[in-house]
Amino acid sequence: MQVPIIMPQLGESIAEARIVNFLTQSGESIAADQNLIEVETDKATMTVTAPCAGKIEKFAAQLDESYAVGAILGYIEATKEEVARLGLDIPSLAKTSDTDRTVKADSNGRSRVQPTVRGLPVPANATGASYLSPRLKARMGELGLSAADLAGVAGSGAAGRVTIEDFEKFIATLEKHKMSAASSMRVAVADAMRRSWTRPLATVGLPVQLDALLAHRKKLDPKPGPALYALRAMAMALSENSAPAGRLVGNKIVHPGSIDVGFAVEAEDGVLVPVIRHADQKGLRDLTERYNELVELARQRKLPTDATGGSIATVTNYGTFGLTWATPIPLPEQTLVLGMGAGRRQPHWDEKQRQFVPIMEALLTISFDHRVLDGGAAGRLLQRILSLMQQPERL
Amino acid sequence: MFQTALDTKPSQETKSARDIHLSAFRYMMLARVLDDKFAALYRAGGKIHGGVFLGRGQEGLSAAIGISLQKGDVFAPLIRDAAGRLAFGETVLDSVRTYLGSAHGPMRGRDGNVHRGNVQEGLLPMISHLGAMISVVNGILLARRFQKKFGTVGAACIGDGATSTGSFHEAVNQAAVEKLPLVLVIADNQYAYSTPTSRQFACDSLAHKAAGYGVDVQTVDGTDFSACLKVAGEAVSRARREGGPQMIVARLLRLCGHGEHDVAEYVDPELKKSPLGRDCLNVAQDFLIQKNWLDEPQLAAMKDEIAHEIETAVAQAQREPAPDPFAEEWRALVSGHLSEGTMEP
Amino acid sequence: MSLTYLEAIREAQARALRDDPRVFIYGQDVGAFGGAFKATKNLAMEFPGRVLDSPISEDAMVGMAVGAAIEGMRPIVEMQFADFSLVGFNQIVNQAATLYWRTNVPCPITVRLPFGGTSGSGPFHSQCIEAIYAHYPGLIVLTPATVEDAYSMLLEAVALDDPVIFCEHKFLYRHLKAEKLPDEALPVGKARIAREGRDLTVVTYSAMVHEALEAANELSTEGWEIEIVDLRSVKPLDTDTVVASVARTGKLLCVGEAWPWGGVTAEIISRVSVEGFGLLDAPPQRLNAKDTPVPYHHNLWAAHRPTARSIATTARNLLRQ
Repeated sequence: MQVPIIMPQLGESIAEARIVNFLTQSGESIAADQNLIEVETDKATMTVTAPCAGKIEKFAAQLDESYAVGAILGYIEATKEEVARLGLDIPSLAKTSDTDRTVKADSNGRSRVQPTVRGLPVPANATGASYLSPRLKARMGELGLSAADLAGVAGSGAAGRVTIEDFEKFIATLEKHKMSAASSMRVAVADAMRRSWTRPLATVGLPVQLDALLAHRKKLDPKPGPALYALRAMAMALSENSAPAGRLVGNKIVHPGSIDVGFAVEAEDGVLVPVIRHADQKGLRDLTERYNELVELARQRKLPTDATGGSIATVTNYGTFGLTWATPIPLPEQTLVLGMGAGRRQPHWDEKQRQFVPIMEALLTISFDHRVLDGGAAGRLLQRILSLMQQPERL
Repeated sequence: MFQTALDTKPSQETKSARDIHLSAFRYMMLARVLDDKFAALYRAGGKIHGGVFLGRGQEGLSAAIGISLQKGDVFAPLIRDAAGRLAFGETVLDSVRTYLGSAHGPMRGRDGNVHRGNVQEGLLPMISHLGAMISVVNGILLARRFQKKFGTVGAACIGDGATSTGSFHEAVNQAAVEKLPLVLVIADNQYAYSTPTSRQFACDSLAHKAAGYGVDVQTVDGTDFSACLKVAGEAVSRARREGGPQMIVARLLRLCGHGEHDVAEYVDPELKKSPLGRDCLNVAQDFLIQKNWLDEPQLAAMKDEIAHEIETAVAQAQREPAPDPFAEEWRALVSGHLSEGTMEP
Repeated sequence: MSLTYLEAIREAQARALRDDPRVFIYGQDVGAFGGAFKATKNLAMEFPGRVLDSPISEDAMVGMAVGAAIEGMRPIVEMQFADFSLVGFNQIVNQAATLYWRTNVPCPITVRLPFGGTSGSGPFHSQCIEAIYAHYPGLIVLTPATVEDAYSMLLEAVALDDPVIFCEHKFLYRHLKAEKLPDEALPVGKARIAREGRDLTVVTYSAMVHEALEAANELSTEGWEIEIVDLRSVKPLDTDTVVASVARTGKLLCVGEAWPWGGVTAEIISRVSVEGFGLLDAPPQRLNAKDTPVPYHHNLWAAHRPTARSIATTARNLLRQ
């Protein structure tokens, strides 16, 4: 049976020792407790003894090399009887070898983490109106509330913060009112709009003449809706200049990848936004097919995951509700939303004929994240969309 | 003079001198071979966790006090008292189990090597702070006085180094003031770790401290086991009879390192060559053979028996399980309802 | 007929000596003299041979108590001042506190420490070191704040099978009086609501409980109701009662007469942070002595430790958050 020769722990803080002399050699017969190897620590020179009688099968250690406590220095070939006699036929008390557990310091001795107290990742002690104590957060968590829900709560704490007392009073008063459960769609939309609103949003608007577009669509089958003309026009305008649809993250503008445009579909208690990928590369006919498909799927609540999310702008047709103008809110991950109102017959001054002529007109609005673009850029984008929509054969 | 309420073995005075000497010698030999075994196991790597501390050179003195005590007495041995412990009744197996980390050992893995004992049997497990055990022996003796249990003795062993501690001073003084039957055995083995006695105390002999405390003292050649037996026997008898503290100061030389991690190169070679450096085991062996109390064949047979006894104990202990941290009740208080637990979530 | 905190301690010892022949008292000047504070007045006469004068040897006093306990006695060791118990610290924490864990033999000793400051006592007669003892496993550390608790908790301490560090506040010795001794009491390990409140929880122990009560009265006139938790025992610490109180009030102020680093107040806040993080409506606060030795001069001494005034001020800041 093979019995290992193990480097002993020769002192409390000793971690390794160096082989300085072999007192026995391979093949030699040895007795139990016999001195086999001389080793040196920084305190003294000591010997390693044989755990049992037998024959040295081989030494795995080399002269002048250091080995960690617990390392195997060689093997003794011993009889089964000898091993049993000394009770060595059980797992030894030796710890697993520490040889592979030394931590190598960085080669130039520098640690990678710089100890510093400048710039804490979170404020150590927040105060003021927006401070939410752990207790308040715990209660809010319990009731599924976010900070926006507390917008209506006046804080009586230091610097106007909402204390737990203010909170509990608020909840108590709420409970006196009639309450019904909000659907999960409602809650999701609420969350998205809340997040979007954390940006400074502005809106610009222009009226678009629909007559050319209406004539154009009469000749098509299937017939694209006016909003689809708007979608196509915006996709083309953005492919010419995608900067207005970029996102501001910190001090960088993140440019859009592909021109994927979404459109709002009212569904039950909220809004769904199916997305048409590469809308700049699809002509009106292809767009119409795809649009109709997606509307159907949306209505049935069967939109596949690849058909939602990741759009760079959205079109919303509030005209279908009879609204003439509105200031829509972009999705929280988008900078722009294009809105279209209901078409109306309006008098339009014709300079050539020097009189008012009736035209079909609808108001287009773009709401945008004012951190990314200003009125001028938004206006220019709107003008381009307008001009494309008024030349429908180009779409 | 006093009633003894405890069950005692026949006093040493009724055994023959031959029997006492042979018995003591066997304990000395047993201790020596056991110590050698621990030293070898220490160097075999992985068998013993932590330090190994031997009593090589002190076996005669230690066995003398151990064998002079009776069942019912109290004994607080220290680092180098393997022989005394065995003479007092500790088993080889308990000693081996403690060193090899068996869960069945007397300390159950909670303490190790020489920090072992059996309180119910009167063998106190030392704490590492030298001198601290003496007042504990005092307390046991005082309690017995309260309980009107007379006729027992308490013995404590210490070294030259421990005599410098405040604990030693306070405890010896306390024993003297309370007139307790304490026998204090001081093994002046010339070194406390690497510190020679010239750096440990300034009086000519540790025996001079006795006058300061108002206790009786006897000095003895620690290498002469027969002299040790006589002095220890007399001190124990005197304490038992008259009830006052007795001090024994024995001079000898430590014949091993402070621990087995220490090669002790600082020991003065002159001391090793002097009579102080005699190996008490050789002295004892020569004495017994000269007295015809022991012959070579008997000696050889004793050695064989001892080797076998130790090997059997080692083999058994090696097979026993180690303590299981998950089976441990991690509680330091008797009062479970007041224990705070691990405080982890 | 009223009795002081000190007299209650004396009565408890008398009763222990009377009821249990295993009990004896060992300390400096405790015999005929009756103890430096007279905590054992007349006991040596009433119980001859059981109230012994020891030499000035705190190490040997505790070691002896451990030995006596091994042999079945129930020793009470009187330290003359907590500050001097440190000479016997090793025997307390390494001998007494480890005995049961190492050997399965219980160590039922009670070590009485007169602790805490009185003006003019100086650095070595004023220390509050309960946290240092509490740090070691194997010890029970008690800090009674009332006359009733001084009596009942000392009796329970002697009856427990574990080593108990019994911290008696020197200032309370003669300044605190009660009408009579209690018939029943809260057990060791349970904290007491010394004052019910609503706006803030003060957790404290021993003499500081009375300072906190005074502060609470002051704040009550301003419309704040402070809840005060008297820990009674520092180890084990009744975390449940503390957390339940913070759940009611949302605000925590821990007050201790001891020094700040690693003190009882630090331990309480640590536990509440771990077990009751979501209960806190403001960061937890603590008030301790200044991080210097206890000064001798009254002006310095009065500013060194928490007072009713400083407790009220700190509480006010916390209440206004």
